[in-house]
Amino acid sequence: MYLIQYLYEQHRKDLGLVLVAGTSGLSRRINKPEVHRPGLSLTGYLKGYVGTRILVMGKQEIEFLRGLDSKVRKERLGAILTSSTPAVIVAKGGLPSKELIEICEKKGVPLFQASSNATNLLSRLTFLLLEEFCPSVTLHGSLVEVFGVGVLIQGESSVGKSETALGLIERGHRLISDDVVRIKKKEGAYLIGSGPELTRHLMEIRGIGIINVAHLYGAVCVRPDKEIDLVVKLEEWDDQHFYDRVGLDEKFIDVLGVSIPYHLLPVKPGRDVVLLLETTALNHRLKNMGYHSAKEFNAKLLEAIAQRQKTGSVRETR
Amino acid sequence: MKLVQKVKVKNALGLHTRPAAVIVKLLQPRKSSVLFNYKNETINARSIMSILMLAAQKNSMIEITVEGEDAELTMQHLLQAFEMEFGEK
Repeated sequence: MYLIQYLYEQHRKDLGLVLVAGTSGLSRRINKPEVHRPGLSLTGYLKGYVGTRILVMGKQEIEFLRGLDSKVRKERLGAILTSSTPAVIVAKGGLPSKELIEICEKKGVPLFQASSNATNLLSRLTFLLLEEFCPSVTLHGSLVEVFGVGVLIQGESSVGKSETALGLIERGHRLISDDVVRIKKKEGAYLIGSGPELTRHLMEIRGIGIINVAHLYGAVCVRPDKEIDLVVKLEEWDDQHFYDRVGLDEKFIDVLGVSIPYHLLPVKPGRDVVLLLETTALNHRLKNMGYHSAKEFNAKLLEAIAQRQKTGSVRETR
Repeated sequence: MKLVQKVKVKNALGLHTRPAAVIVKLLQPRKSSVLFNYKNETINARSIMSILMLAAQKNSMIEITVEGEDAELTMQHLLQAFEMEFGEK
């Protein structure tokens, strides 16, 4: 639930918002990440009008209203400002009319004056709202950037996620978040992971305690967010389980409806998990560049077998 | 077995580092999975960083979900820890 109040508190500075009227409506909900310039609706044409969008009035709308008779002005404004209108924002260059202020105050619709022009306001508000409304989830795991690949390390508690992440940082890779990763689905297509503000770049290592990676290893070893390219699940080595030995079949995992390549990596003494993760990330990069080691080798092998069969059959006919 | 219960944070300082350590410690020998839900955020209660991220102050209500073979005993221990204000009383 996103309220006008939150928008006002979080973005009053960057949007240059000043509250003019309708303070009682600050708790109004924003139900849609949409912003609307009422232009046509002010002429009285209300067919298909959606009342749940934030209204942005530019210089033109204000001038148009000014040209109307006071009674008509009240009527038209009364029709577009409904009980579900989240807010009205007047862009730079326009001064809200007396009637607009009155109606907003009466109906409890927050009325703001902004310091940027309508076009700018429209694009920035749309961007802000889309960001706020995109699907998100909090997952247990560590997010590390390895050779530019965003790797989400998952696994049961105490399997060694944090220790692996620490090992990777020591090798020059970057930590985004340890233990808790907030994931947002952007533009319905890709995932961006980040850490919660409060515990950002902090790690808990058993036996040492809470450490600040940014302070210990420097700013070069951390970053605020990263696209998730790969999910690696660490698990204790299970003799009953058959782990992938050839890598011909690729597995995927669903996160917020996005399919992400997935690897199950068994952990046991003697296996250098940090090195294995680096290799997994590099192999992923190689695949993205169009070279799939396992498939490429298999093709070569099939060709060699076919060749042998050919020469073999020649020999048999002799 | 799955148990869900709401519990109030009673200690004055809220869920800070020491209470988080108490929770993680008491969960260590338990087998069940334990989740905390606070302000639409669901986290794994075995992770100190996750508990700290919630920054739950005094009097906030946390929904505990315990699932597993020793759910009853785990829930009992957890509720007791919250009630005892994690030894800060």
